[in-house]
Amino acid sequence: MIRNILILTLNDLAIAIKNKSIYLIIFIPFFVFVTLKLIDSPSIDEIPVKIGFIQNENYAPEIMLTVKAAGQIIKVTWVQDLQEGVQLLKEKKIDGVLLRNTNKRDSLKLLVLKKESFHTIVIVEKFLALQKAAEGYRDAWISDIEELYDGGIQRQALPTWILMLVLLIGFIILPAQVAEEKEKRLILALLQTPIREVEWLIAKVLTGMLLTLVAILLLHILSGFGVVHVPSYMAFIAVGGFCFSAFGVFLGFLCRNQASARTLGVVFYLPHLLPSALSDFSQQLSAIAPLLPSYQFYGPVKTILLEEGTIANLSFEWGYLLLVGALAFYLSSILLKKRWLMK
Amino acid sequence: MQIEVEELTKLYDLKRGLQPTSFSVKKGELIAVVGHNGAGKSTLMKMLAGWILPDNGQATIDGIVLRNRMAVVEKVGFVPEIPNLFDFFTVEYNLKLFAYLFRTPFSRVDEVLREFNLLSFRNNKIQTLSKGLKQRVNIGRTLLANPSVLLFDEPTSGLDFEMTKELYRLLKNIHDDGKTIFFTSHRPEEIKTLATRIMVLHDGSLIFDGSPKDYFQSEVYVNLYAL
Repeated sequence: MIRNILILTLNDLAIAIKNKSIYLIIFIPFFVFVTLKLIDSPSIDEIPVKIGFIQNENYAPEIMLTVKAAGQIIKVTWVQDLQEGVQLLKEKKIDGVLLRNTNKRDSLKLLVLKKESFHTIVIVEKFLALQKAAEGYRDAWISDIEELYDGGIQRQALPTWILMLVLLIGFIILPAQVAEEKEKRLILALLQTPIREVEWLIAKVLTGMLLTLVAILLLHILSGFGVVHVPSYMAFIAVGGFCFSAFGVFLGFLCRNQASARTLGVVFYLPHLLPSALSDFSQQLSAIAPLLPSYQFYGPVKTILLEEGTIANLSFEWGYLLLVGALAFYLSSILLKKRWLMK
Repeated sequence: MQIEVEELTKLYDLKRGLQPTSFSVKKGELIAVVGHNGAGKSTLMKMLAGWILPDNGQATIDGIVLRNRMAVVEKVGFVPEIPNLFDFFTVEYNLKLFAYLFRTPFSRVDEVLREFNLLSFRNNKIQTLSKGLKQRVNIGRTLLANPSVLLFDEPTSGLDFEMTKELYRLLKNIHDDGKTIFFTSHRPEEIKTLATRIMVLHDGSLIFDGSPKDYFQSEVYVNLYAL
Protein backbone atom coordinates (compact mmCIF):
# COMPACT_ATOMS: atom_id res chain seq x y z
CA MET A 1 0.00 0.00 0.00
CA ILE A 2 2.75 2.47 0.99
CA ARG A 3 4.64 1.56 -2.17
CA ASN A 4 1.57 2.34 -4.30
CA ILE A 5 1.04 5.67 -2.53
CA LEU A 6 4.70 6.55 -3.09
CA ILE A 7 4.53 5.61 -6.76
CA LEU A 8 1.33 7.63 -7.24
CA THR A 9 2.83 10.61 -5.40
CA LEU A 10 5.93 10.47 -7.61
CA ASN A 11 3.68 10.22 -10.64
CA ASP A 12 1.73 13.31 -9.51
CA LEU A 13 5.00 15.18 -9.02
CA ALA A 14 6.13 14.13 -12.48
CA ILE A 15 2.84 15.46 -13.89
CA ALA A 16 3.35 18.75 -12.02
CA ILE A 17 6.82 19.03 -13.56
CA LYS A 18 5.56 18.07 -16.98
CA ASN A 19 2.71 20.59 -16.99
CA LYS A 20 5.02 23.22 -15.47
CA SER A 21 2.87 23.80 -12.34
CA ILE A 22 6.01 23.11 -10.30
CA TYR A 23 7.54 26.33 -11.64
CA LEU A 24 5.14 28.27 -9.41
CA ILE A 25 6.73 26.65 -6.36
CA ILE A 26 10.00 28.24 -7.40
CA PHE A 27 8.59 31.44 -8.84
CA ILE A 28 6.29 32.57 -6.02
CA PRO A 29 8.86 32.48 -3.18
CA PHE A 30 11.42 34.16 -5.45
CA PHE A 31 8.93 36.83 -6.45
CA VAL A 32 7.85 37.47 -2.85
CA PHE A 33 11.52 37.74 -1.83
CA VAL A 34 12.25 40.34 -4.53
CA THR A 35 9.08 42.30 -3.72
CA LEU A 36 9.86 42.36 -0.01
CA LYS A 37 13.34 43.61 -0.80
CA LEU A 38 11.81 46.43 -2.79
CA ILE A 39 9.14 47.29 -0.22
CA ASP A 40 11.51 47.37 2.74
CA SER A 41 13.26 50.66 2.43
CA PRO A 42 16.16 50.70 4.89
CA SER A 43 17.21 54.26 4.01
CA ILE A 44 13.99 56.10 4.75
CA ASP A 45 15.98 59.05 6.17
CA GLU A 46 17.71 59.61 2.85
CA ILE A 47 14.49 60.12 0.95
CA PRO A 48 13.67 63.84 0.71
CA VAL A 49 10.05 64.84 1.06
CA LYS A 50 8.53 67.78 -0.76
CA ILE A 51 6.24 69.84 1.41
CA GLY A 52 4.08 72.76 0.37
CA PHE A 53 3.86 75.73 2.76
CA ILE A 54 1.26 78.42 2.23
CA GLN A 55 2.46 81.99 1.99
CA ASN A 56 0.95 84.34 4.61
CA GLU A 57 0.07 81.33 6.81
CA ASN A 58 1.10 82.06 10.36
CA TYR A 59 3.34 79.06 11.10
CA ALA A 60 5.08 78.77 14.49
CA PRO A 61 8.59 80.33 14.08
CA GLU A 62 10.50 77.45 15.76
CA ILE A 63 8.92 75.00 13.34
CA MET A 64 9.87 77.09 10.32
CA LEU A 65 13.42 77.54 11.57
CA THR A 66 13.89 73.82 12.06
CA VAL A 67 12.37 72.97 8.66
CA LYS A 68 14.60 75.50 6.91
CA ALA A 69 17.65 74.05 8.66
CA ALA A 70 16.71 70.59 7.43
CA GLY A 71 16.78 71.57 3.78
CA GLN A 72 18.53 68.30 2.80
CA ILE A 73 15.64 66.10 3.85
CA ILE A 74 12.64 68.45 3.53
CA LYS A 75 12.25 70.39 0.30
CA VAL A 76 9.99 73.37 0.85
CA THR A 77 7.72 74.68 -1.89
CA TRP A 78 5.89 77.92 -1.18
CA VAL A 79 2.38 78.07 -2.61
CA GLN A 80 0.12 81.08 -2.83
CA ASP A 81 -2.92 79.46 -1.28
CA LEU A 82 -4.47 76.14 -0.37
CA GLN A 83 -5.94 75.77 -3.86
CA GLU A 84 -2.51 75.89 -5.47
CA GLY A 85 -1.21 73.45 -2.84
CA VAL A 86 -4.00 70.99 -3.62
CA GLN A 87 -3.28 71.33 -7.33
CA LEU A 88 0.43 70.55 -6.86
CA LEU A 89 -0.50 67.66 -4.58
CA LYS A 90 -2.81 66.18 -7.23
CA GLU A 91 -0.09 66.58 -9.81
CA LYS A 92 2.24 64.77 -7.37
CA LYS A 93 4.73 67.64 -7.52
CA ILE A 94 4.65 67.76 -3.72
CA ASP A 95 4.00 65.03 -1.15
CA GLY A 96 1.88 67.08 1.28
CA VAL A 97 0.73 70.55 2.28
CA LEU A 98 1.22 71.84 5.81
CA LEU A 99 -1.42 74.14 7.26
CA ARG A 100 -1.64 75.77 10.63
CA ASN A 101 -3.91 73.73 12.85
CA THR A 102 -6.45 76.29 14.01
CA ASN A 103 -7.70 73.97 16.74
CA LYS A 104 -4.36 73.54 18.43
CA ARG A 105 -1.74 76.23 19.10
CA ASP A 106 1.75 75.80 17.55
CA SER A 107 0.77 72.69 15.70
CA LEU A 108 0.23 71.74 12.08
CA LYS A 109 -2.32 69.96 9.98
CA LEU A 110 -0.92 67.79 7.17
CA LEU A 111 -2.89 67.52 3.96
CA VAL A 112 -1.97 64.43 1.87
CA LEU A 113 -3.48 62.50 -1.03
CA LYS A 114 -3.94 59.37 1.03
CA LYS A 115 -3.40 58.71 4.75
CA GLU A 116 -2.33 55.08 4.32
CA SER A 117 0.60 55.73 2.05
CA PHE A 118 4.34 55.54 2.07
CA HIS A 119 4.67 59.33 1.60
CA THR A 120 2.51 60.13 4.65
CA ILE A 121 4.54 57.80 6.83
CA VAL A 122 7.81 59.38 5.65
CA ILE A 123 6.54 62.94 6.26
CA VAL A 124 5.34 62.17 9.78
CA GLU A 125 8.52 60.27 10.64
CA LYS A 126 10.74 63.10 9.40
CA PHE A 127 8.86 65.76 11.33
CA LEU A 128 8.99 63.65 14.48
CA ALA A 129 12.74 63.28 14.02
CA LEU A 130 13.19 67.03 13.44
CA GLN A 131 11.08 67.89 16.46
CA LYS A 132 13.02 65.48 18.64
CA ALA A 133 16.30 67.05 17.51
CA ALA A 134 15.00 70.62 17.99
CA GLU A 135 13.15 70.45 21.26
CA GLY A 136 13.12 66.88 22.61
CA TYR A 137 9.81 65.13 22.98
CA ARG A 138 6.79 67.38 23.26
CA ASP A 139 3.38 67.34 21.63
CA ALA A 140 3.79 66.39 17.96
CA TRP A 141 3.97 69.32 15.53
CA ILE A 142 1.71 67.48 13.13
CA SER A 143 -1.40 67.02 15.22
CA ASP A 144 -3.87 66.25 12.45
CA ILE A 145 -3.74 64.55 9.05
CA GLU A 146 -6.34 65.17 6.42
CA GLU A 147 -6.55 63.32 3.11
CA LEU A 148 -7.64 64.59 -0.24
CA TYR A 149 -9.18 61.32 -1.41
CA ASP A 150 -12.72 60.94 -0.17
CA GLY A 151 -14.81 57.84 0.46
CA GLY A 152 -12.55 56.29 3.07
CA ILE A 153 -10.40 53.22 2.80
CA GLN A 154 -13.06 51.21 0.93
CA ARG A 155 -13.16 53.64 -1.98
CA GLN A 156 -9.39 53.99 -1.95
CA ALA A 157 -9.11 50.21 -2.28
CA LEU A 158 -11.40 50.21 -5.34
CA PRO A 159 -8.65 50.75 -7.97
CA THR A 160 -6.75 47.77 -6.55
CA TRP A 161 -9.81 45.53 -6.81
CA ILE A 162 -10.40 46.72 -10.36
CA LEU A 163 -6.79 46.00 -11.27
CA MET A 164 -7.12 42.53 -9.74
CA LEU A 165 -10.22 41.80 -11.81
CA VAL A 166 -8.75 43.03 -15.08
CA LEU A 167 -5.53 41.06 -14.54
CA LEU A 168 -7.44 37.96 -13.43
CA ILE A 169 -9.41 37.95 -16.67
CA GLY A 170 -6.39 38.82 -18.79
CA PHE A 171 -3.74 36.59 -17.26
CA ILE A 172 -5.66 33.66 -15.75
CA ILE A 173 -9.01 33.14 -17.49
CA LEU A 174 -8.21 33.97 -21.12
CA PRO A 175 -4.87 32.14 -21.50
CA ALA A 176 -6.46 28.97 -20.06
CA GLN A 177 -9.39 29.29 -22.45
CA VAL A 178 -7.18 29.81 -25.48
CA ALA A 179 -4.91 26.93 -24.45
CA GLU A 180 -7.96 24.69 -23.98
CA GLU A 181 -9.18 25.51 -27.47
CA LYS A 182 -5.73 24.69 -28.81
CA GLU A 183 -5.41 21.52 -26.76
CA LYS A 184 -8.79 20.20 -27.89
CA ARG A 185 -8.17 21.48 -31.44
CA LEU A 186 -11.33 23.54 -31.32
CA ILE A 187 -9.58 26.46 -32.98
CA LEU A 188 -8.67 24.19 -35.88
CA ALA A 189 -12.30 23.04 -36.10
CA LEU A 190 -13.41 26.68 -36.25
CA LEU A 191 -10.77 27.44 -38.86
CA GLN A 192 -12.25 24.65 -41.01
CA THR A 193 -15.10 27.10 -41.60
CA PRO A 194 -14.89 30.26 -43.70
CA ILE A 195 -14.08 32.56 -40.77
CA ARG A 196 -11.03 34.78 -40.82
CA GLU A 197 -8.30 34.21 -38.24
CA VAL A 198 -8.63 37.83 -37.16
CA GLU A 199 -12.34 37.33 -36.46
CA TRP A 200 -11.53 34.54 -34.01
CA LEU A 201 -8.94 36.77 -32.33
CA ILE A 202 -11.26 39.78 -32.09
CA ALA A 203 -13.97 37.56 -30.59
CA LYS A 204 -11.55 36.36 -27.91
CA VAL A 205 -10.44 39.89 -27.03
CA LEU A 206 -14.05 41.11 -27.01
CA THR A 207 -14.95 38.28 -24.62
CA GLY A 208 -12.21 39.47 -22.27
CA MET A 209 -13.39 43.08 -22.54
CA LEU A 210 -17.01 42.11 -21.87
CA LEU A 211 -16.05 40.00 -18.85
CA THR A 212 -14.01 42.93 -17.55
CA LEU A 213 -16.89 45.32 -18.03
CA VAL A 214 -19.41 43.06 -16.30
CA ALA A 215 -17.05 42.36 -13.37
CA ILE A 216 -16.33 46.06 -12.83
CA LEU A 217 -19.99 47.00 -13.18
CA LEU A 218 -20.90 44.41 -10.54
CA LEU A 219 -18.16 45.76 -8.29
CA HIS A 220 -19.60 49.28 -8.53
CA ILE A 221 -23.17 48.10 -8.00
CA LEU A 222 -22.27 46.04 -4.94
CA SER A 223 -19.94 48.62 -3.41
CA GLY A 224 -22.27 51.53 -4.19
CA PHE A 225 -19.39 53.73 -5.42
CA GLY A 226 -20.20 56.00 -8.34
CA VAL A 227 -17.90 57.67 -10.85
CA VAL A 228 -17.83 61.40 -11.66
CA HIS A 229 -16.18 61.31 -15.09
CA VAL A 230 -17.93 58.30 -16.61
CA PRO A 231 -16.64 58.70 -20.23
CA SER A 232 -13.01 58.93 -19.07
CA TYR A 233 -13.51 55.98 -16.77
CA MET A 234 -15.15 53.91 -19.52
CA ALA A 235 -12.34 54.81 -21.91
CA PHE A 236 -9.76 53.41 -19.49
CA ILE A 237 -11.75 50.31 -18.63
CA ALA A 238 -12.15 49.63 -22.37
CA VAL A 239 -8.49 50.18 -23.23
CA GLY A 240 -7.35 48.27 -20.13
CA GLY A 241 -9.70 45.41 -21.00
CA PHE A 242 -8.36 45.42 -24.57
CA CYS A 243 -4.71 45.54 -23.52
CA PHE A 244 -4.84 42.73 -20.95
CA SER A 245 -7.26 40.57 -22.95
CA ALA A 246 -4.97 40.74 -26.00
CA PHE A 247 -2.01 40.03 -23.69
CA GLY A 248 -3.90 37.04 -22.25
CA VAL A 249 -4.72 35.62 -25.68
CA PHE A 250 -1.04 35.93 -26.59
CA LEU A 251 0.00 34.07 -23.42
CA GLY A 252 -2.53 31.35 -24.27
CA PHE A 253 -0.84 30.92 -27.65
CA LEU A 254 2.51 30.33 -25.98
CA CYS A 255 1.14 27.28 -24.15
CA ARG A 256 0.30 23.80 -25.33
CA ASN A 257 -2.27 23.04 -22.61
CA GLN A 258 -4.40 24.59 -19.87
CA ALA A 259 -2.09 23.64 -17.01
CA SER A 260 0.88 25.45 -18.49
CA ALA A 261 -1.35 28.41 -19.40
CA ARG A 262 -2.41 28.76 -15.75
CA THR A 263 1.19 28.58 -14.60
CA LEU A 264 2.31 31.18 -17.11
CA GLY A 265 -0.73 33.31 -16.18
CA VAL A 266 0.27 33.39 -12.50
CA VAL A 267 3.87 34.20 -13.49
CA PHE A 268 2.54 37.31 -15.23
CA TYR A 269 -0.34 38.04 -12.83
CA LEU A 270 1.63 38.55 -9.63
CA PRO A 271 4.37 40.82 -11.03
CA HIS A 272 1.71 42.97 -12.67
CA LEU A 273 -0.55 43.15 -9.64
CA LEU A 274 1.72 43.59 -6.66
CA PRO A 275 4.17 46.33 -7.71
CA SER A 276 1.29 48.49 -8.96
CA ALA A 277 -1.02 47.85 -6.02
CA LEU A 278 1.78 48.30 -3.48
CA SER A 279 3.39 51.29 -5.14
CA ASP A 280 1.68 53.65 -2.64
CA PHE A 281 3.61 52.01 0.17
CA SER A 282 7.09 51.82 -1.28
CA GLN A 283 9.36 54.40 -2.87
CA GLN A 284 11.30 51.70 -4.73
CA LEU A 285 8.20 49.96 -5.99
CA SER A 286 6.74 53.27 -7.13
CA ALA A 287 9.90 53.73 -9.21
CA ILE A 288 9.59 50.27 -10.82
CA ALA A 289 5.80 50.07 -11.20
CA PRO A 290 5.49 52.62 -14.07
CA LEU A 291 7.45 50.23 -16.28
CA LEU A 292 4.55 47.78 -16.14
CA PRO A 293 1.41 48.08 -18.30
CA SER A 294 -0.64 47.32 -15.18
CA TYR A 295 0.52 50.55 -13.53
CA GLN A 296 -0.41 52.55 -16.64
CA PHE A 297 -3.92 51.21 -16.05
CA TYR A 298 -3.97 51.36 -12.24
CA GLY A 299 -2.62 54.93 -12.00
CA PRO A 300 -5.24 56.53 -14.28
CA VAL A 301 -8.10 54.50 -12.76
CA LYS A 302 -6.98 55.73 -9.33
CA THR A 303 -6.74 59.29 -10.59
CA ILE A 304 -10.19 59.15 -12.21
CA LEU A 305 -11.88 57.45 -9.27
CA LEU A 306 -10.21 59.24 -6.38
CA GLU A 307 -9.03 62.58 -7.77
CA GLU A 308 -11.74 63.16 -10.33
CA GLY A 309 -9.15 63.16 -13.11
CA THR A 310 -10.10 62.96 -16.78
CA ILE A 311 -8.68 61.28 -19.86
CA ALA A 312 -7.48 64.68 -21.13
CA ASN A 313 -4.60 64.53 -18.65
CA LEU A 314 -4.01 60.81 -19.10
CA SER A 315 -3.61 60.46 -22.85
CA PHE A 316 -0.08 59.01 -22.61
CA GLU A 317 -1.25 56.14 -20.40
CA TRP A 318 -4.26 55.51 -22.65
CA GLY A 319 -2.08 55.42 -25.75
CA TYR A 320 0.47 53.20 -24.01
CA LEU A 321 -2.17 50.60 -23.11
CA LEU A 322 -3.60 50.71 -26.63
CA LEU A 323 -0.14 50.17 -28.10
CA VAL A 324 0.72 47.23 -25.81
CA GLY A 325 -2.67 45.65 -26.58
CA ALA A 326 -2.18 46.15 -30.33
CA LEU A 327 1.30 44.59 -30.16
CA ALA A 328 0.01 41.54 -28.24
CA PHE A 329 -2.85 41.22 -30.74
CA TYR A 330 -0.45 41.36 -33.67
CA LEU A 331 1.86 38.73 -32.15
CA SER A 332 -1.13 36.47 -31.47
CA SER A 333 -2.26 36.79 -35.07
CA ILE A 334 1.20 35.69 -36.27
CA LEU A 335 1.17 32.66 -33.96
CA LEU A 336 -2.36 31.80 -35.07
CA LYS A 337 -1.41 32.00 -38.74
CA LYS A 338 1.58 29.76 -38.11
CA ARG A 339 -0.68 27.31 -36.18
CA TRP A 340 1.83 27.59 -33.33
CA LEU A 341 1.74 24.46 -31.10
CA MET A 342 -1.45 23.27 -32.77
CA LYS A 343 -0.32 20.20 -34.72
CA MET B 1 -8.13 16.27 -61.95
CA GLN B 2 -9.80 17.43 -58.77
CA ILE B 3 -6.72 17.36 -56.55
CA GLU B 4 -3.14 18.04 -57.67
CA VAL B 5 -0.34 17.59 -55.16
CA GLU B 6 3.18 18.64 -56.18
CA GLU B 7 6.22 18.01 -54.01
CA LEU B 8 4.26 18.61 -50.83
CA THR B 9 6.72 18.44 -47.92
CA LYS B 10 6.64 18.74 -44.16
CA LEU B 11 9.52 17.52 -42.04
CA TYR B 12 9.71 17.36 -38.26
CA ASP B 13 12.55 16.36 -35.99
CA LEU B 14 14.07 12.90 -36.45
CA LYS B 15 13.11 12.97 -40.15
CA ARG B 16 9.44 12.30 -39.36
CA GLY B 17 6.76 13.92 -41.47
CA LEU B 18 6.27 13.84 -45.22
CA GLN B 19 9.04 13.79 -47.82
CA PRO B 20 8.32 15.59 -51.12
CA THR B 21 5.19 13.86 -52.40
CA SER B 22 3.24 14.26 -55.63
CA PHE B 23 0.00 12.69 -56.90
CA SER B 24 -3.30 13.63 -58.46
CA VAL B 25 -6.84 12.56 -57.70
CA LYS B 26 -9.94 12.32 -59.89
CA LYS B 27 -13.36 13.35 -58.63
CA GLY B 28 -15.22 10.56 -56.82
CA GLU B 29 -12.22 8.42 -55.85
CA LEU B 30 -12.19 6.69 -52.47
CA ILE B 31 -8.57 6.55 -51.42
CA ALA B 32 -7.14 4.64 -48.50
CA VAL B 33 -3.87 6.09 -47.23
CA VAL B 34 -1.99 3.25 -45.60
CA GLY B 35 1.15 3.16 -43.50
CA HIS B 36 2.65 2.38 -40.12
CA ASN B 37 2.54 4.87 -37.26
CA GLY B 38 4.75 7.85 -38.10
CA ALA B 39 4.62 7.08 -41.84
CA GLY B 40 3.27 10.57 -42.61
CA LYS B 41 -0.44 9.73 -43.16
CA SER B 42 -1.82 12.22 -40.66
CA THR B 43 0.67 14.88 -41.77
CA LEU B 44 -0.60 14.53 -45.35
CA MET B 45 -4.23 14.73 -44.20
CA LYS B 46 -3.63 17.72 -41.96
CA MET B 47 -1.80 19.56 -44.73
CA LEU B 48 -4.64 18.95 -47.17
CA ALA B 49 -7.04 20.20 -44.48
CA GLY B 50 -4.96 23.30 -43.81
CA TRP B 51 -4.20 22.33 -40.20
CA ILE B 52 -0.47 22.22 -40.92
CA LEU B 53 1.36 24.54 -43.27
CA PRO B 54 3.71 22.71 -45.69
CA ASP B 55 7.44 23.46 -45.67
CA ASN B 56 7.49 23.20 -49.45
CA GLY B 57 5.37 22.19 -52.38
CA GLN B 58 1.91 23.00 -53.49
CA ALA B 59 -1.52 21.44 -53.65
CA THR B 60 -4.68 22.54 -55.42
CA ILE B 61 -8.24 21.38 -54.90
CA ASP B 62 -10.59 22.23 -57.75
CA GLY B 63 -7.93 24.69 -58.86
CA ILE B 64 -7.77 26.47 -55.49
CA VAL B 65 -4.37 26.55 -53.82
CA LEU B 66 -4.18 25.18 -50.26
CA ARG B 67 -2.95 28.45 -48.83
CA ASN B 68 -6.25 30.08 -49.78
CA ARG B 69 -7.87 28.70 -46.63
CA MET B 70 -11.10 30.68 -46.89
CA ALA B 71 -11.86 29.12 -50.28
CA VAL B 72 -10.43 25.67 -49.54
CA VAL B 73 -12.62 25.11 -46.44
CA GLU B 74 -15.67 25.33 -48.70
CA LYS B 75 -14.30 22.39 -50.71
CA VAL B 76 -12.64 20.20 -48.06
CA GLY B 77 -14.02 18.68 -44.90
CA PHE B 78 -11.66 17.10 -42.39
CA VAL B 79 -12.68 14.54 -39.77
CA PRO B 80 -9.81 14.14 -37.30
CA GLU B 81 -9.13 10.95 -35.35
CA ILE B 82 -10.19 12.58 -32.06
CA PRO B 83 -13.51 14.43 -32.43
CA ASN B 84 -12.95 18.13 -31.81
CA LEU B 85 -16.35 19.31 -30.65
CA PHE B 86 -17.43 21.69 -27.90
CA ASP B 87 -17.87 19.02 -25.20
CA PHE B 88 -19.94 21.08 -22.79
CA PHE B 89 -22.60 21.95 -25.38
CA THR B 90 -25.30 19.81 -26.95
CA VAL B 91 -25.18 18.03 -30.29
CA GLU B 92 -27.64 20.49 -31.75
CA TYR B 93 -25.73 23.53 -30.44
CA ASN B 94 -22.50 22.25 -32.01
CA LEU B 95 -24.16 21.65 -35.37
CA LYS B 96 -26.00 24.97 -35.33
CA LEU B 97 -22.83 26.88 -34.45
CA PHE B 98 -20.99 25.38 -37.40
CA ALA B 99 -24.00 25.73 -39.69
CA TYR B 100 -23.99 29.42 -38.86
CA LEU B 101 -20.25 29.72 -39.53
CA PHE B 102 -20.62 27.79 -42.81
CA ARG B 103 -23.52 30.11 -43.68
CA THR B 104 -25.71 27.04 -44.12
CA PRO B 105 -29.44 27.25 -43.25
CA PHE B 106 -30.43 25.67 -39.91
CA SER B 107 -32.74 23.30 -41.79
CA ARG B 108 -29.55 21.51 -42.88
CA VAL B 109 -28.89 20.71 -39.19
CA ASP B 110 -32.15 18.75 -39.04
CA GLU B 111 -31.21 16.93 -42.23
CA VAL B 112 -27.84 15.95 -40.78
CA LEU B 113 -29.42 14.85 -37.49
CA ARG B 114 -31.79 12.63 -39.46
CA GLU B 115 -29.15 11.28 -41.90
CA PHE B 116 -26.82 10.34 -39.06
CA ASN B 117 -29.50 8.93 -36.70
CA LEU B 118 -28.77 11.64 -34.16
CA LEU B 119 -32.29 13.01 -33.64
CA SER B 120 -32.69 11.34 -30.24
CA PHE B 121 -29.33 12.73 -29.11
CA ARG B 122 -29.85 16.32 -30.29
CA ASN B 123 -30.16 17.66 -26.73
CA ASN B 124 -27.38 15.51 -25.25
CA LYS B 125 -24.12 17.15 -24.31
CA ILE B 126 -21.17 15.92 -26.39
CA GLN B 127 -19.29 14.85 -23.26
CA THR B 128 -22.04 12.32 -22.48
CA LEU B 129 -21.79 10.57 -25.87
CA SER B 130 -19.80 7.46 -26.76
CA LYS B 131 -16.82 7.79 -29.09
CA GLY B 132 -18.80 6.34 -31.98
CA LEU B 133 -21.59 8.88 -31.53
CA LYS B 134 -19.11 11.72 -31.19
CA GLN B 135 -17.50 10.59 -34.43
CA ARG B 136 -20.93 10.59 -36.11
CA VAL B 137 -21.57 14.16 -34.92
CA ASN B 138 -18.09 15.09 -36.14
CA ILE B 139 -18.76 13.69 -39.61
CA GLY B 140 -22.19 15.30 -39.64
CA ARG B 141 -20.67 18.65 -38.78
CA THR B 142 -18.15 18.30 -41.61
CA LEU B 143 -20.91 17.50 -44.08
CA LEU B 144 -22.98 20.56 -43.11
CA ALA B 145 -21.24 22.64 -45.78
CA ASN B 146 -21.51 19.83 -48.34
CA PRO B 147 -17.77 19.74 -49.25
CA SER B 148 -16.71 17.88 -52.38
CA VAL B 149 -13.61 16.35 -50.75
CA LEU B 150 -13.61 14.59 -47.37
CA LEU B 151 -10.57 13.61 -45.35
CA PHE B 152 -10.89 11.05 -42.56
CA ASP B 153 -7.94 10.47 -40.23
CA GLU B 154 -8.18 6.97 -38.70
CA PRO B 155 -12.01 7.10 -38.72
CA THR B 156 -12.50 3.71 -37.06
CA SER B 157 -9.82 4.09 -34.39
CA GLY B 158 -11.22 3.11 -30.99
CA LEU B 159 -14.59 2.02 -32.38
CA ASP B 160 -16.12 -1.39 -31.68
CA PHE B 161 -17.22 -3.81 -34.41
CA GLU B 162 -20.79 -2.52 -34.68
CA MET B 163 -19.78 1.12 -34.79
CA THR B 164 -17.06 0.37 -37.33
CA LYS B 165 -19.66 -1.31 -39.57
CA GLU B 166 -21.94 1.70 -39.13
CA LEU B 167 -19.10 4.01 -40.12
CA TYR B 168 -18.31 1.95 -43.25
CA ARG B 169 -21.96 2.32 -44.23
CA LEU B 170 -21.73 6.08 -43.72
CA LEU B 171 -18.53 6.34 -45.79
CA LYS B 172 -20.10 4.33 -48.60
CA ASN B 173 -23.19 6.54 -48.58
CA ILE B 174 -21.07 9.68 -48.69
CA HIS B 175 -19.01 8.22 -51.54
CA ASP B 176 -22.18 7.23 -53.42
CA ASP B 177 -23.14 10.91 -53.31
CA GLY B 178 -20.16 11.53 -55.60
CA LYS B 179 -17.72 12.90 -53.07
CA THR B 180 -13.98 12.29 -53.14
CA ILE B 181 -12.80 10.62 -49.95
CA PHE B 182 -9.39 10.09 -48.37
CA PHE B 183 -9.10 7.98 -45.28
CA THR B 184 -6.12 6.71 -43.36
CA SER B 185 -6.19 3.18 -42.07
CA HIS B 186 -4.25 0.30 -40.56
CA ARG B 187 -6.86 -2.34 -41.28
CA PRO B 188 -6.61 -4.48 -44.46
CA GLU B 189 -10.32 -5.40 -44.34
CA GLU B 190 -11.21 -1.71 -44.29
CA ILE B 191 -9.07 -1.09 -47.34
CA LYS B 192 -10.40 -4.13 -49.20
CA THR B 193 -14.05 -3.30 -48.57
CA LEU B 194 -14.03 0.40 -49.19
CA ALA B 195 -11.15 1.79 -51.21
CA THR B 196 -10.99 2.29 -54.94
CA ARG B 197 -7.33 3.30 -54.70
CA ILE B 198 -4.53 2.69 -52.22
CA MET B 199 -1.63 4.97 -51.38
CA VAL B 200 1.09 3.56 -49.11
CA LEU B 201 3.34 5.86 -47.14
CA HIS B 202 6.50 4.56 -45.52
CA ASP B 203 8.92 6.73 -43.53
CA GLY B 204 7.29 9.80 -45.07
CA SER B 205 7.59 8.63 -48.69
CA LEU B 206 4.86 7.48 -51.07
CA ILE B 207 5.96 3.93 -51.99
CA PHE B 208 2.79 2.59 -53.61
CA ASP B 209 -0.11 4.19 -55.47
CA GLY B 210 -2.57 1.88 -57.25
CA SER B 211 -5.68 -0.25 -57.11
CA PRO B 212 -6.57 -2.46 -54.09
CA LYS B 213 -6.13 -5.56 -56.27
CA ASP B 214 -2.59 -4.55 -57.24
CA TYR B 215 -1.81 -3.57 -53.69
CA PHE B 216 -2.67 -6.92 -52.15
CA GLN B 217 -0.52 -8.68 -54.77
CA SER B 218 2.39 -6.26 -54.48
CA GLU B 219 5.72 -6.67 -52.72
CA VAL B 220 4.90 -3.63 -50.67
CA TYR B 221 2.00 -5.41 -49.00
CA VAL B 222 3.96 -8.63 -48.60
CA ASN B 223 7.06 -6.95 -47.16
CA LEU B 224 5.45 -4.40 -44.95
CA TYR B 225 2.02 -5.56 -43.92
CA ALA B 226 1.42 -9.24 -44.48
CA LEU B 227 1.71 -11.42 -41.36
